[in-house]
Amino acid sequence: MARPAERGRRGNGLFVLACLLPALVLFVVFMIVPTVNVFRMSFYTWSGFSPDMRFVGLENFTRLLDDEQFVRAFQNTVALLVVVTVVTMGMALFLAAIMTRQKLRGRSLYRFILYVPSVLSVVVIAAVFSALYDQENGLINGTLQALSLDGLRQIWLGDQQLVLWSVAIAMVWQSLGYYMVLYMSGMSSIPESLYEASALDGASAGRQFFAITLPLIWQNLRTTLTFFVMSAVNLSFVLVRAMTGGGPDGSSEVLLSYMYKQAYTNSSYGYGMAIGVVIFAFSFLVSLLVSRATRREPLQF
Amino acid sequence: MRRSLILASAVTALGLLTACGADGGGSDAGSSKTTLSVAALEGGYGRDMYTQVIQAYEAKHPDVDVQLQISKSIEDEITPNMKAGRFPDVVVLGQGRKAALTETLIKDKALEDLTPVLQAKVPGEDRTVGDKLIDGIVGNLNTNPYGDGKTYTMPMYYAPTGLFYNKGLFDKKGWKVPATWDELFALGETAKKDGISLFTYPTAGYLDSYFFALLADVGGEQFYTDVMTYKQNVWQTPQARQALDLTTKLLKYAAPTTVGYANEQDFTKNQQSILDNKTLFMPNGTWIVGEMKDAPRADGFAWGLTPLPAVTAGGKRYITTSVESVWVPSGAKNKDAAKEFVAYLYSDEAAKIFAKSNAVQPIQGIASSLTEENAAFYQVYEDASVTALVGGFASTAPVEGVDIKATLFDTANSIISGDKTEDQWQAALNDASEKLRQAGS
Repeated sequence: MARPAERGRRGNGLFVLACLLPALVLFVVFMIVPTVNVFRMSFYTWSGFSPDMRFVGLENFTRLLDDEQFVRAFQNTVALLVVVTVVTMGMALFLAAIMTRQKLRGRSLYRFILYVPSVLSVVVIAAVFSALYDQENGLINGTLQALSLDGLRQIWLGDQQLVLWSVAIAMVWQSLGYYMVLYMSGMSSIPESLYEASALDGASAGRQFFAITLPLIWQNLRTTLTFFVMSAVNLSFVLVRAMTGGGPDGSSEVLLSYMYKQAYTNSSYGYGMAIGVVIFAFSFLVSLLVSRATRREPLQF
Repeated sequence: MRRSLILASAVTALGLLTACGADGGGSDAGSSKTTLSVAALEGGYGRDMYTQVIQAYEAKHPDVDVQLQISKSIEDEITPNMKAGRFPDVVVLGQGRKAALTETLIKDKALEDLTPVLQAKVPGEDRTVGDKLIDGIVGNLNTNPYGDGKTYTMPMYYAPTGLFYNKGLFDKKGWKVPATWDELFALGETAKKDGISLFTYPTAGYLDSYFFALLADVGGEQFYTDVMTYKQNVWQTPQARQALDLTTKLLKYAAPTTVGYANEQDFTKNQQSILDNKTLFMPNGTWIVGEMKDAPRADGFAWGLTPLPAVTAGGKRYITTSVESVWVPSGAKNKDAAKEFVAYLYSDEAAKIFAKSNAVQPIQGIASSLTEENAAFYQVYEDASVTALVGGFASTAPVEGVDIKATLFDTANSIISGDKTEDQWQAALNDASEKLRQAGS
């Protein structure tokens, strides 16, 4: 009696497999194979074209430790990740809370304005910020001058201590709106009754945010956080390439841009792949850390 | 029903896979026509001249079908195919590009020996290619990268690079173009009083032409070659120190906006400061005229080009000559047809078409076919005290994390902003040079 049902299930399994097959094949060919290749290539010295490939074991990795430029790129990446993540997430949460909880006039207009940067191409953003940061007639220095704050005028993209933060601001501007909208949708599904009850108990807006809103969208926050850290690694690369080219003198180099330079400009393909492995491990580790650090019992309403 | 679905998805998957795998290699097995694939960089000279030259070639060689691939970032387009073993037959692309494709292939010994092309007769003419070329344009590290007497890259266009300035401003102020470094610094002081800076660069990478000439000016051709071939401790010599001293002093006169604009996005703003009479000199090449042709400029503006000032009065001066090249990858399919095509590029017929777009080939007597403004630039070679300098750093096996050009040029940004000292610069150069020397031997 069990047989027909079993047969039916097996048939189902085949059908599911067939449906998954194209995606699976593509995933293996374009994700798994190249990733394994990156790991394999990191043990070789190879320029990328010649048949002349030499196995060097872990030499590429030991070299990395002595490479000042790599260390600086690593530091820059970590600094960007920490600052940009904290600022973007903090501001996105704050803005989302205001927009859902406070009855703001023209709320959808604000939402629209804040969301626009997420649809712009990064090259456009780089161009916008290059214009903003222009040391002579850019908006920022121009405003400072108009306010007679000439002393605060900066060479935003030419100062080695400032350039990384200039890039960071562009990154925050780009991603803020997207995450704000995500959190807004999470927050708007929280039942109004919770807020009403807490308001009757005399809770302030700030108290409500930390006692109700934040715990209830915690799962939402966790997922986006991991996602954001990963996309920030990529975004920093594209922005740095378009805005500063890693300069002046390597001061805004990030891991991916340094990897690109080594693999494609310095003909050290194997070395570039070793940097790729480090990025892979680093991203993996960060995701793990984020997910560990934010683990909590999910709250429900 | 189910089975057909499975079949359908399997077919889809297969289709996707084969679509990625199948891409014509360009060989027409069926017809007798040779397909010659030519890849070229679309530089300041535009793309029309290539289509015209190819048309003229095809008219004479009906059995050859030339397929042109041309783009402003040609490296990005041909590299993936080359990695998969599909090489273009002829590539027109110089050294010193950011992607460094030519350099990479040189490092890999992946170029075809083109010495036979020099001995071959130009198609339809009596003279050989070698006879037509101007003296000294082949046989240097640029064309013969391994120093073994074999030519691997053929010089295609050549152009002087040096310090560009506004002739109009000098005439108006009655200033003389400085012939020595002392005069240059004196002019820097004078200009400062008028609120004009002495020096700027578009990006630090443009210092290549500046540094190569300076090294030769300071220590002569042998010293220049020593530096380019990473002779041991060459950066600790007094000549190297003098070159860095002069540069450090010059960078003190740099326009305050230089570093902030010295990136891919804003470099034209540094170039604009010459047109606006805010800065006197910048290192650049003759392409600057075309690049800035639509930019606003000061009244009476006229481009001028001068070699670097001499280190000692009356001393020899070198002018770095940028040579773009054409080469054939070892992996090319139609090498013979490729070589014949390269030889044709030096024919009078082709040269005339190129010259119309201001692409000047190193062919004897070419100057007569140039426009007036362009001809003025090429006059620097007629000064008896000025010698052309071709080439750059010798290629070695790649050294992970070491890019001596970046160390030499990009550090200028840090010198201007005060983030690094001249001593640190010298030490970093010495270190990079030593690592490359060991990789080269």
